[in-house]
Amino acid sequence: MATDKSAVPSGSASRLSLDVWAVIVALILALAVRFDIIKNVPW
Amino acid sequence: MASTTVLSPVKSNSTLLNALGVLPGVLLLAAIGYTGKFLEHFLNTYAKTHHWTFPNIEYVLWAILIGLVIANTVGVPKVFQAGVATYEFWLKLGIVLLGARFVLADIQKLGGISLALVVIEITLSLLLMTVLGNLFKLKPKLISLLAIGSAVCGVSAIIAAKGAIDADDEDSSFAIAAILALGALALFTFPVIAHSLHMNDVSYGLWAGLGVDNTAEATAAGALYSDAAGKVAVVAKTARNAMIGFVVLAYAIYWAGQGQAATVSNKAAFLWKKFPKFILGFLLVSLLVSFHTFSKGQVGSLGNLSKWAFLLTFAGVGLCTNIREMSKHGLRPFIVGAIGEILIACLTLGLVIGADRIWGL
Repeated sequence: MATDKSAVPSGSASRLSLDVWAVIVALILALAVRFDIIKNVPW
Repeated sequence: MASTTVLSPVKSNSTLLNALGVLPGVLLLAAIGYTGKFLEHFLNTYAKTHHWTFPNIEYVLWAILIGLVIANTVGVPKVFQAGVATYEFWLKLGIVLLGARFVLADIQKLGGISLALVVIEITLSLLLMTVLGNLFKLKPKLISLLAIGSAVCGVSAIIAAKGAIDADDEDSSFAIAAILALGALALFTFPVIAHSLHMNDVSYGLWAGLGVDNTAEATAAGALYSDAAGKVAVVAKTARNAMIGFVVLAYAIYWAGQGQAATVSNKAAFLWKKFPKFILGFLLVSLLVSFHTFSKGQVGSLGNLSKWAFLLTFAGVGLCTNIREMSKHGLRPFIVGAIGEILIACLTLGLVIGADRIWGL
Protein backbone atom coordinates (compact mmCIF):
# COMPACT_ATOMS: atom_id res chain seq x y z
CA MET A 1 0.00 0.00 0.00
CA ALA A 2 1.36 3.38 -0.97
CA THR A 3 1.19 6.08 1.67
CA ASP A 4 2.66 9.56 1.63
CA LYS A 5 5.73 9.46 3.89
CA SER A 6 6.30 13.20 3.94
CA ALA A 7 2.86 13.63 5.49
CA VAL A 8 3.82 11.46 8.44
CA PRO A 9 5.66 13.30 11.21
CA SER A 10 8.92 11.54 11.97
CA GLY A 11 9.33 11.90 15.69
CA SER A 12 9.63 14.99 17.82
CA ALA A 13 10.89 18.10 16.05
CA SER A 14 13.15 18.87 18.99
CA ARG A 15 15.27 15.75 18.46
CA LEU A 16 18.48 16.69 16.73
CA SER A 17 20.27 14.21 14.50
CA LEU A 18 23.71 12.85 15.26
CA ASP A 19 25.08 14.94 12.37
CA VAL A 20 23.74 18.16 13.87
CA TRP A 21 25.13 17.32 17.31
CA ALA A 22 28.53 16.62 15.74
CA VAL A 23 28.47 20.03 14.02
CA ILE A 24 27.37 21.82 17.22
CA VAL A 25 30.08 20.18 19.35
CA ALA A 26 32.71 20.84 16.65
CA LEU A 27 31.76 24.53 16.46
CA ILE A 28 31.87 24.86 20.26
CA LEU A 29 35.35 23.30 20.21
CA ALA A 30 36.39 25.61 17.35
CA LEU A 31 35.20 28.64 19.33
CA ALA A 32 37.04 27.42 22.42
CA VAL A 33 40.23 27.06 20.37
CA ARG A 34 39.69 30.45 18.68
CA PHE A 35 39.39 32.24 22.04
CA ASP A 36 42.28 30.27 23.58
CA ILE A 37 40.11 28.44 26.11
CA ILE A 38 41.59 25.29 24.59
CA LYS A 39 45.13 25.73 23.34
CA ASN A 40 48.14 23.72 22.20
CA VAL A 41 46.26 20.42 21.86
CA PRO A 42 48.97 17.75 21.73
CA TRP A 43 49.02 14.63 19.58
CA MET B 1 23.71 0.53 13.94
CA ALA B 2 25.56 3.44 15.35
CA SER B 3 24.60 5.68 12.48
CA THR B 4 21.08 5.77 13.83
CA THR B 5 22.23 6.72 17.29
CA VAL B 6 20.61 9.96 18.35
CA LEU B 7 21.96 11.87 21.29
CA SER B 8 19.05 13.13 23.32
CA PRO B 9 18.42 16.86 23.33
CA VAL B 10 19.10 18.89 26.43
CA LYS B 11 16.07 18.10 28.54
CA SER B 12 15.32 16.79 32.02
CA ASN B 13 17.32 14.28 34.05
CA SER B 14 17.41 11.78 31.20
CA THR B 15 20.20 13.81 29.55
CA LEU B 16 22.41 13.36 32.59
CA LEU B 17 21.53 9.67 32.78
CA ASN B 18 22.30 9.26 29.05
CA ALA B 19 25.63 11.03 29.49
CA LEU B 20 26.51 8.77 32.43
CA GLY B 21 25.33 5.74 30.47
CA VAL B 22 27.73 6.38 27.58
CA LEU B 23 30.68 7.30 29.80
CA PRO B 24 32.07 3.74 30.42
CA GLY B 25 31.96 2.92 26.69
CA VAL B 26 33.57 6.20 25.69
CA LEU B 27 36.31 5.59 28.25
CA LEU B 28 36.80 2.12 26.78
CA LEU B 29 37.13 3.65 23.28
CA ALA B 30 39.66 6.14 24.63
CA ALA B 31 41.62 3.43 26.47
CA ILE B 32 41.82 1.18 23.39
CA GLY B 33 42.67 4.09 21.08
CA TYR B 34 45.37 5.35 23.42
CA THR B 35 46.79 1.85 23.84
CA GLY B 36 47.05 1.69 20.03
CA LYS B 37 48.89 5.00 19.98
CA PHE B 38 51.17 3.87 22.81
CA LEU B 39 51.95 0.56 21.07
CA GLU B 40 52.88 2.30 17.82
CA HIS B 41 55.25 4.66 19.64
CA PHE B 42 56.66 2.01 21.98
CA LEU B 43 57.36 -0.59 19.28
CA ASN B 44 58.97 1.99 16.99
CA THR B 45 61.23 3.27 19.75
CA TYR B 46 62.09 -0.25 20.93
CA ALA B 47 62.91 -1.41 17.40
CA LYS B 48 65.07 1.68 16.79
CA THR B 49 66.94 1.27 20.09
CA HIS B 50 67.66 -2.40 19.40
CA HIS B 51 68.43 -1.80 15.69
CA TRP B 52 65.60 -4.04 14.58
CA THR B 53 63.93 -3.82 11.22
CA PHE B 54 60.29 -3.64 12.24
CA PRO B 55 57.44 -2.38 10.06
CA ASN B 56 55.68 0.71 11.38
CA ILE B 57 52.27 -0.50 12.48
CA GLU B 58 50.04 2.57 12.78
CA TYR B 59 47.91 3.23 15.87
CA VAL B 60 44.87 2.92 13.58
CA LEU B 61 45.56 -0.77 13.01
CA TRP B 62 46.36 -1.43 16.68
CA ALA B 63 43.14 0.23 17.82
CA ILE B 64 41.06 -1.76 15.33
CA LEU B 65 42.83 -5.04 16.14
CA ILE B 66 42.45 -4.63 19.91
CA GLY B 67 38.76 -3.80 19.44
CA LEU B 68 38.29 -6.79 17.12
CA VAL B 69 39.93 -9.18 19.59
CA ILE B 70 37.78 -7.94 22.48
CA ALA B 71 34.54 -8.03 20.47
CA ASN B 72 35.18 -11.53 19.14
CA THR B 73 36.51 -13.18 22.29
CA VAL B 74 35.06 -11.89 25.55
CA GLY B 75 32.54 -9.63 23.79
CA VAL B 76 31.62 -6.07 24.77
CA PRO B 77 29.93 -6.09 28.21
CA LYS B 78 26.54 -4.40 28.33
CA VAL B 79 27.77 -1.52 30.49
CA PHE B 80 30.08 -0.39 27.66
CA GLN B 81 27.71 -0.89 24.72
CA ALA B 82 25.93 2.49 24.75
CA GLY B 83 29.25 4.35 24.84
CA VAL B 84 30.88 2.16 22.19
CA ALA B 85 27.92 2.91 19.88
CA THR B 86 28.90 6.60 19.98
CA TYR B 87 31.84 5.90 17.67
CA GLU B 88 29.83 7.24 14.74
CA PHE B 89 29.43 10.54 16.61
CA TRP B 90 33.22 10.77 17.09
CA LEU B 91 33.67 10.00 13.40
CA LYS B 92 31.42 12.88 12.35
CA LEU B 93 32.96 15.22 14.92
CA GLY B 94 36.41 14.25 13.59
CA ILE B 95 35.34 14.93 10.00
CA VAL B 96 33.89 18.37 10.83
CA LEU B 97 37.07 19.33 12.69
CA LEU B 98 39.19 17.93 9.85
CA GLY B 99 37.78 20.82 7.79
CA ALA B 100 40.43 22.92 9.59
CA ARG B 101 43.15 21.11 7.67
CA PHE B 102 41.77 22.10 4.27
CA VAL B 103 41.47 25.50 2.70
CA LEU B 104 38.56 25.85 0.30
CA ALA B 105 40.86 25.73 -2.75
CA ASP B 106 41.98 22.20 -1.71
CA ILE B 107 38.39 21.07 -1.33
CA GLN B 108 37.46 22.64 -4.66
CA LYS B 109 40.24 20.73 -6.44
CA LEU B 110 39.92 17.42 -4.58
CA GLY B 111 36.13 17.64 -4.28
CA GLY B 112 35.79 18.35 -8.01
CA ILE B 113 37.86 15.31 -8.99
CA SER B 114 36.14 13.21 -6.30
CA LEU B 115 32.65 14.21 -7.46
CA ALA B 116 33.42 13.32 -11.07
CA LEU B 117 34.75 9.92 -10.00
CA VAL B 118 31.88 9.44 -7.51
CA VAL B 119 29.24 9.86 -10.22
CA ILE B 120 30.95 7.21 -12.39
CA GLU B 121 31.51 4.92 -9.38
CA ILE B 122 27.88 5.15 -8.22
CA THR B 123 26.47 4.44 -11.68
CA LEU B 124 28.73 1.44 -12.24
CA SER B 125 28.25 0.06 -8.71
CA LEU B 126 24.46 0.24 -8.91
CA LEU B 127 24.47 -1.55 -12.27
CA LEU B 128 26.96 -4.17 -11.16
CA MET B 129 25.21 -5.03 -7.89
CA THR B 130 21.82 -5.21 -9.60
CA VAL B 131 23.12 -7.60 -12.27
CA LEU B 132 24.92 -9.76 -9.66
CA GLY B 133 21.92 -9.81 -7.30
CA ASN B 134 19.63 -10.94 -10.13
CA LEU B 135 22.15 -13.59 -11.22
CA PHE B 136 22.21 -15.03 -7.69
CA LYS B 137 18.41 -14.69 -7.42
CA LEU B 138 18.46 -12.53 -4.28
CA LYS B 139 15.23 -10.85 -3.14
CA PRO B 140 14.61 -7.62 -5.14
CA LYS B 141 14.69 -5.31 -2.11
CA LEU B 142 17.84 -6.95 -0.79
CA ILE B 143 19.42 -6.27 -4.20
CA SER B 144 18.39 -2.61 -3.90
CA LEU B 145 19.90 -2.36 -0.41
CA LEU B 146 23.17 -4.03 -1.44
CA ALA B 147 23.38 -1.80 -4.51
CA ILE B 148 22.77 1.38 -2.47
CA GLY B 149 25.16 0.27 0.30
CA SER B 150 28.00 -0.49 -2.07
CA ALA B 151 27.43 2.50 -4.35
CA VAL B 152 27.02 5.25 -1.77
CA CYS B 153 27.96 4.99 1.84
CA GLY B 154 27.48 1.65 3.44
CA VAL B 155 25.50 1.39 6.63
CA SER B 156 24.02 4.92 6.69
CA ALA B 157 22.77 4.53 3.10
CA ILE B 158 21.23 1.14 3.84
CA ILE B 159 19.45 2.53 6.91
CA ALA B 160 18.23 5.58 4.95
CA ALA B 161 17.03 3.35 2.12
CA LYS B 162 15.40 0.78 4.41
CA GLY B 163 12.74 3.27 5.50
CA ALA B 164 12.35 4.83 2.08
CA ILE B 165 11.72 1.57 0.20
CA ASP B 166 9.97 -0.25 3.06
CA ALA B 167 12.53 -3.07 3.11
CA ASP B 168 12.28 -5.60 5.94
CA ASP B 169 14.70 -5.84 8.87
CA GLU B 170 16.17 -9.14 7.75
CA ASP B 171 17.15 -7.78 4.33
CA SER B 172 18.77 -4.70 5.81
CA SER B 173 20.75 -6.65 8.39
CA PHE B 174 21.94 -9.00 5.59
CA ALA B 175 23.08 -6.01 3.54
CA ILE B 176 24.69 -4.27 6.53
CA ALA B 177 26.56 -7.44 7.55
CA ALA B 178 27.88 -7.97 4.02
CA ILE B 179 29.00 -4.33 3.65
CA LEU B 180 30.68 -4.25 7.08
CA ALA B 181 32.45 -7.59 6.64
CA LEU B 182 33.82 -6.54 3.28
CA GLY B 183 34.80 -3.14 4.62
CA ALA B 184 36.75 -4.84 7.41
CA LEU B 185 38.51 -6.95 4.79
CA ALA B 186 39.32 -3.86 2.73
CA LEU B 187 41.02 -2.32 5.77
CA PHE B 188 43.69 -4.98 5.60
CA THR B 189 43.94 -5.48 1.83
CA PHE B 190 43.76 -1.93 0.39
CA PRO B 191 46.99 -0.63 1.99
CA VAL B 192 48.91 -3.78 0.97
CA ILE B 193 47.76 -3.52 -2.66
CA ALA B 194 48.48 0.22 -2.73
CA HIS B 195 52.00 -0.28 -1.35
CA SER B 196 52.70 -2.93 -3.97
CA LEU B 197 51.52 -0.51 -6.68
CA HIS B 198 53.57 2.38 -5.14
CA MET B 199 50.49 4.62 -5.12
CA ASN B 200 50.91 8.19 -3.95
CA ASP B 201 48.91 9.52 -0.98
CA VAL B 202 46.31 11.38 -3.05
CA SER B 203 45.62 8.46 -5.41
CA TYR B 204 45.37 6.00 -2.54
CA GLY B 205 43.16 8.33 -0.48
CA LEU B 206 40.81 8.72 -3.43
CA TRP B 207 40.73 4.95 -3.93
CA ALA B 208 39.96 4.29 -0.24
CA GLY B 209 37.22 6.95 -0.28
CA LEU B 210 35.65 5.52 -3.43
CA GLY B 211 36.17 1.81 -2.83
CA VAL B 212 35.46 1.31 0.89
CA ASP B 213 31.78 1.65 1.70
CA ASN B 214 31.40 2.50 5.35
CA THR B 215 32.64 5.99 6.28
CA ALA B 216 34.44 4.86 9.45
CA GLU B 217 36.22 2.06 7.59
CA ALA B 218 37.08 4.32 4.62
CA THR B 219 38.58 6.86 7.05
CA ALA B 220 40.55 4.12 8.80
CA ALA B 221 41.70 2.58 5.50
CA GLY B 222 43.00 5.99 4.41
CA ALA B 223 44.72 6.72 7.73
CA LEU B 224 46.37 3.29 7.66
CA TYR B 225 48.33 4.37 4.58
CA SER B 226 49.34 7.84 5.72
CA ASP B 227 48.00 10.96 7.36
CA ALA B 228 47.71 12.72 3.99
CA ALA B 229 45.94 9.75 2.42
CA GLY B 230 43.51 9.72 5.36
CA LYS B 231 42.57 13.36 4.67
CA VAL B 232 41.95 12.69 0.97
CA ALA B 233 39.93 9.54 1.78
CA VAL B 234 37.63 11.61 3.99
CA VAL B 235 37.04 14.18 1.22
CA ALA B 236 36.32 11.48 -1.39
CA LYS B 237 34.04 9.59 0.99
CA THR B 238 32.25 12.80 1.95
CA ALA B 239 31.62 13.60 -1.72
CA ARG B 240 30.12 10.11 -2.01
CA ASN B 241 28.00 10.59 1.11
CA ALA B 242 26.61 13.82 -0.35
CA MET B 243 24.91 11.75 -3.07
CA ILE B 244 22.95 9.61 -0.60
CA GLY B 245 19.71 11.59 -0.94
CA PHE B 246 19.62 11.40 -4.74
CA VAL B 247 20.25 7.65 -4.91
CA VAL B 248 17.79 6.80 -2.12
CA LEU B 249 15.18 9.10 -3.69
CA ALA B 250 15.55 7.34 -7.06
CA TYR B 251 15.01 3.94 -5.40
CA ALA B 252 12.10 5.26 -3.30
CA ILE B 253 10.39 6.53 -6.48
CA TYR B 254 11.01 3.19 -8.22
CA TRP B 255 9.57 1.10 -5.36
CA ALA B 256 6.64 3.51 -4.90
CA GLY B 257 5.95 3.03 -8.62
CA GLN B 258 5.79 -0.71 -7.94
CA GLY B 259 3.28 -0.02 -5.16
CA GLN B 260 5.70 -1.44 -2.58
CA ALA B 261 6.85 1.74 -0.83
CA ALA B 262 5.49 5.08 0.29
CA THR B 263 5.13 7.87 -2.26
CA VAL B 264 7.50 10.80 -1.89
CA SER B 265 5.52 13.98 -2.50
CA ASN B 266 8.02 16.64 -1.37
CA LYS B 267 11.26 15.67 -3.06
CA ALA B 268 13.24 18.70 -1.87
CA ALA B 269 12.30 17.97 1.78
CA PHE B 270 13.22 14.31 1.23
CA LEU B 271 16.67 15.27 -0.17
CA TRP B 272 17.33 17.67 2.72
CA LYS B 273 16.27 15.06 5.28
CA LYS B 274 18.66 12.47 3.84
CA PHE B 275 21.55 14.89 3.26
CA PRO B 276 24.40 14.26 5.74
CA LYS B 277 24.48 17.61 7.59
CA PHE B 278 27.98 17.11 8.99
CA ILE B 279 29.29 17.84 5.47
CA LEU B 280 28.04 21.42 5.92
CA GLY B 281 29.95 21.61 9.22
CA PHE B 282 33.11 20.37 7.47
CA LEU B 283 32.73 23.06 4.78
CA LEU B 284 31.99 25.76 7.39
CA VAL B 285 35.15 24.97 9.40
CA SER B 286 37.16 24.93 6.18
CA LEU B 287 35.64 28.29 5.19
CA LEU B 288 36.61 29.80 8.57
CA VAL B 289 40.19 28.56 8.12
CA SER B 290 40.30 29.91 4.55
CA PHE B 291 39.39 33.38 5.90
CA HIS B 292 42.21 33.16 8.48
CA THR B 293 39.86 33.09 11.47
CA PHE B 294 42.37 30.88 13.28
CA SER B 295 46.12 31.28 13.84
CA LYS B 296 48.49 28.56 12.60
CA GLY B 297 48.74 27.11 16.12
CA GLN B 298 44.97 27.05 16.48
CA VAL B 299 44.59 25.23 13.15
CA GLY B 300 47.08 22.67 14.49
CA SER B 301 45.01 22.30 17.67
CA LEU B 302 41.79 21.73 15.67
CA GLY B 303 43.60 19.17 13.50
CA ASN B 304 44.78 17.34 16.62
CA LEU B 305 41.29 17.40 18.16
CA SER B 306 40.10 15.78 14.93
CA LYS B 307 42.76 13.07 15.31
CA TRP B 308 41.63 12.34 18.89
CA ALA B 309 38.05 12.00 17.69
CA PHE B 310 39.19 9.58 14.97
CA LEU B 311 41.16 7.62 17.57
CA LEU B 312 37.89 6.85 19.40
CA THR B 313 36.25 6.01 16.05
CA PHE B 314 38.89 3.44 15.09
CA ALA B 315 38.55 1.68 18.45
CA GLY B 316 34.78 1.60 17.86
CA VAL B 317 35.18 0.10 14.38
CA GLY B 318 37.01 -2.88 15.90
CA LEU B 319 34.62 -3.22 18.85
CA CYS B 320 31.56 -3.17 16.58
CA THR B 321 32.88 -5.79 14.14
CA ASN B 322 31.41 -9.06 15.33
CA ILE B 323 32.56 -11.81 12.98
CA ARG B 324 30.28 -14.46 14.55
CA GLU B 325 27.20 -12.26 14.07
CA MET B 326 28.15 -11.57 10.46
CA SER B 327 28.58 -15.26 9.66
CA LYS B 328 25.00 -15.94 10.87
CA HIS B 329 23.54 -14.04 7.91
CA GLY B 330 24.08 -16.71 5.29
CA LEU B 331 26.42 -17.03 2.38
CA ARG B 332 24.55 -15.86 -0.71
CA PRO B 333 24.25 -12.13 0.08
CA PHE B 334 27.85 -12.24 1.27
CA ILE B 335 29.04 -13.86 -1.97
CA VAL B 336 27.17 -11.28 -4.06
CA GLY B 337 28.59 -8.53 -1.85
CA ALA B 338 32.11 -9.98 -2.06
CA ILE B 339 32.13 -10.39 -5.84
CA GLY B 340 30.57 -6.94 -6.27
CA GLU B 341 32.98 -5.26 -3.85
CA ILE B 342 36.04 -6.89 -5.44
CA LEU B 343 34.89 -5.73 -8.87
CA ILE B 344 34.10 -2.24 -7.55
CA ALA B 345 37.53 -2.09 -5.86
CA CYS B 346 39.21 -3.01 -9.19
CA LEU B 347 37.02 -0.55 -11.05
CA THR B 348 37.66 2.35 -8.67
CA LEU B 349 41.39 1.53 -8.72
CA GLY B 350 41.26 1.81 -12.51
CA LEU B 351 39.34 5.09 -12.25
CA VAL B 352 41.88 6.57 -9.83
CA ILE B 353 44.87 5.44 -11.92
CA GLY B 354 43.14 6.94 -14.97
CA ALA B 355 42.46 10.20 -13.10
CA ASP B 356 46.12 10.29 -12.00
CA ARG B 357 47.23 10.00 -15.64
CA ILE B 358 44.79 12.71 -16.78
CA TRP B 359 45.01 15.24 -13.91
CA GLY B 360 48.33 14.22 -12.30
CA LEU B 361 47.05 13.70 -8.73
